[in-house]
Amino acid sequence: MQTLEVRNIIKTFKLSKKQQKLEKTKEKLKVAVNDLSFTAYPGEIFGLLGPNGAGKTTCLRAISTLIKPDSGDIIVGGSSVVKDSMDVRGKIGFLTSELKLEDHFTPSYLFTYFGKLHGIDEELIEKRKTVLFSRFGIDDFREVKVGDLSTGMKQKASIAISLVHNPEFVIFDEPTNGLDVLTARSVTDYLVELKHEGKTVILSTHILSVVDKLCDKVGIIINGKMKICDTLENVKKSHPSNDLEEIFFDLIEEDELGGNA
Amino acid sequence: MMKNIATVFRKEFYRVVSDKRLIFTTILLPGLAIYLMYSFLGGAMGNEFEDIQSHEMIVYVENVPEDFSDYLDTLDLNVIYTDYVPSEHDELLDLILIGEVDLLLRFPTTFNSDIDGGILSDVLTYYNPGEKYSEFSYGVYMTELNTYRQSVAYDRYGEAFYVFTTDINNDEHIIIDEDKAIGQGFAMLLPMLIIMFLFSGAMSIGPDSIAGEKERGTIATLLVTPVKRSEIAIGKVLSLSVISLFSASSSFIGIILSLPKLLQGTGEEISMNIYSMGDFVMLFTVLLATVLVIVGIISIISAYAKTIKEASMLILPFYFLSIVMGMSTMFSGEAHSNIFIYLIPLYNSINIIISILTFEVVATQYILTIVSSLGYVVIFIIILNKLFESEKIMFSK
Repeated sequence: MQTLEVRNIIKTFKLSKKQQKLEKTKEKLKVAVNDLSFTAYPGEIFGLLGPNGAGKTTCLRAISTLIKPDSGDIIVGGSSVVKDSMDVRGKIGFLTSELKLEDHFTPSYLFTYFGKLHGIDEELIEKRKTVLFSRFGIDDFREVKVGDLSTGMKQKASIAISLVHNPEFVIFDEPTNGLDVLTARSVTDYLVELKHEGKTVILSTHILSVVDKLCDKVGIIINGKMKICDTLENVKKSHPSNDLEEIFFDLIEEDELGGNA
Repeated sequence: MMKNIATVFRKEFYRVVSDKRLIFTTILLPGLAIYLMYSFLGGAMGNEFEDIQSHEMIVYVENVPEDFSDYLDTLDLNVIYTDYVPSEHDELLDLILIGEVDLLLRFPTTFNSDIDGGILSDVLTYYNPGEKYSEFSYGVYMTELNTYRQSVAYDRYGEAFYVFTTDINNDEHIIIDEDKAIGQGFAMLLPMLIIMFLFSGAMSIGPDSIAGEKERGTIATLLVTPVKRSEIAIGKVLSLSVISLFSASSSFIGIILSLPKLLQGTGEEISMNIYSMGDFVMLFTVLLATVLVIVGIISIISAYAKTIKEASMLILPFYFLSIVMGMSTMFSGEAHSNIFIYLIPLYNSINIIISILTFEVVATQYILTIVSSLGYVVIFIIILNKLFESEKIMFSK
């Protein structure tokens, strides 16, 4: 039951006049995600790849219940994002640059605060805090206000806080952004550890080398559509070059040609 | 449910009380500013009063009758008399115009004989109402001239002069409930100020707590936790209400402390001691219900607005409307008797505050105010909940 199943979701947005100008279109509606489906299983890392504006963030927002799909559904460990959004929120650990931490508080305070909102007792929160803060090197600045932290420090704090409740489903959007090489490595190592613990991990990134090293499965989204979705091995095998980067660019080219035709 | 509300409440409350700058601007500053402003105002008014009182009046006189002059001497007025010289008349009027001379008092040369002969005599006075010393001097001398006129008339006609008298032997002439009179004074002043203070307290933190969280992207972090939107709404509304109450209390203490200074020189004494514990409890429950309504309105606007700036702008019309409501009762100092008035948010509070301050509370009106205000709060929280659920409102850029 610990699978995360995206079932034919469609999400359209109304474009404001400003957005119409930016997108260079006269269409009032934009289909951000078009009939997207995939399944992520426990004990594996699912990599979501795609250029900017492809629909990755919309898909992740829908999984995290921040937005509702127009049609289709996402089943997270047996709970529907449409019908049981509260249950879903309790099961996932969600990290994206959109979710910010309040400047006035310290990482330690916020960790406890979000822990309580997840219904965890204080003793367990403190235990988790000790483990995660030491793991991501947060101890040195645990009592410093978020507003006074560097981008990398904030990212570390965000990662730890998103994992406060030891979620079964970990959804990370560009988790290594703003991190130095060492910390980035500790994050990717931790993701592998989570996978070995049997967690379902979804990783959205535009860094192909990260996908190459970490992911068991990969889904490439272009223009809101899932172009390819399979194990990393099979995806690579599907192309003579056996190279993820080549496959990625070929798919983009293919889509552009299809769009122009 | 209560646990999550308490967690959100504590964090929102801690946000303000752990920030020295916010404590100063939201809680200390309103009271301090009002205390200093009113004390300064009272001090300035007191100084002005003293200044006029201690001024040495410069009065030019002509043909002052001896008996009037003797009478004036007994009054111990702070004045310098100079004799009027007819050839310098125009120059003297110029001096009155520029405020160098306060008053010219001219009796006709024939004044005494006119009085004796029963001829109407015209006493001339010259003064400048645009000059405070001149205006004051004119007031003093007109009062004394009236007294003098009455004594002359009495000498001439005896008791027949009065035609009739009023209340010479009526000890019960003034029937006043002093507490109520003082209460009436409070009822004219306080309702508007209370609403203003509650509103400005909530305005200073409400937009930051909701629109600010949207603007900074921190609300999304809260929205991905397994907490009901209504719990977030209630937690925020409650903590904002408590802080607004602190802020309003600070303003209120500022007023009470500055009252003696504000009233100095007027000889009036006003004290809140006239009210019983029961009155204060009623007042407090009304304030609590009112602040919840105000915070509810401000929270909805803040949730709807995209930025703190937009929220602050959108709140202003409601703030002005509340002041107008407060002012509309300021002059009458009386509460409405129409029962439906007590269903109108904020206006019901203003009216019931007046009733409490003037000892005229009607139970049904009080209950209606509290119940309807709480009803509005529930509606506001439902709306706030809907706004928190709306992806269009929460993530619109």
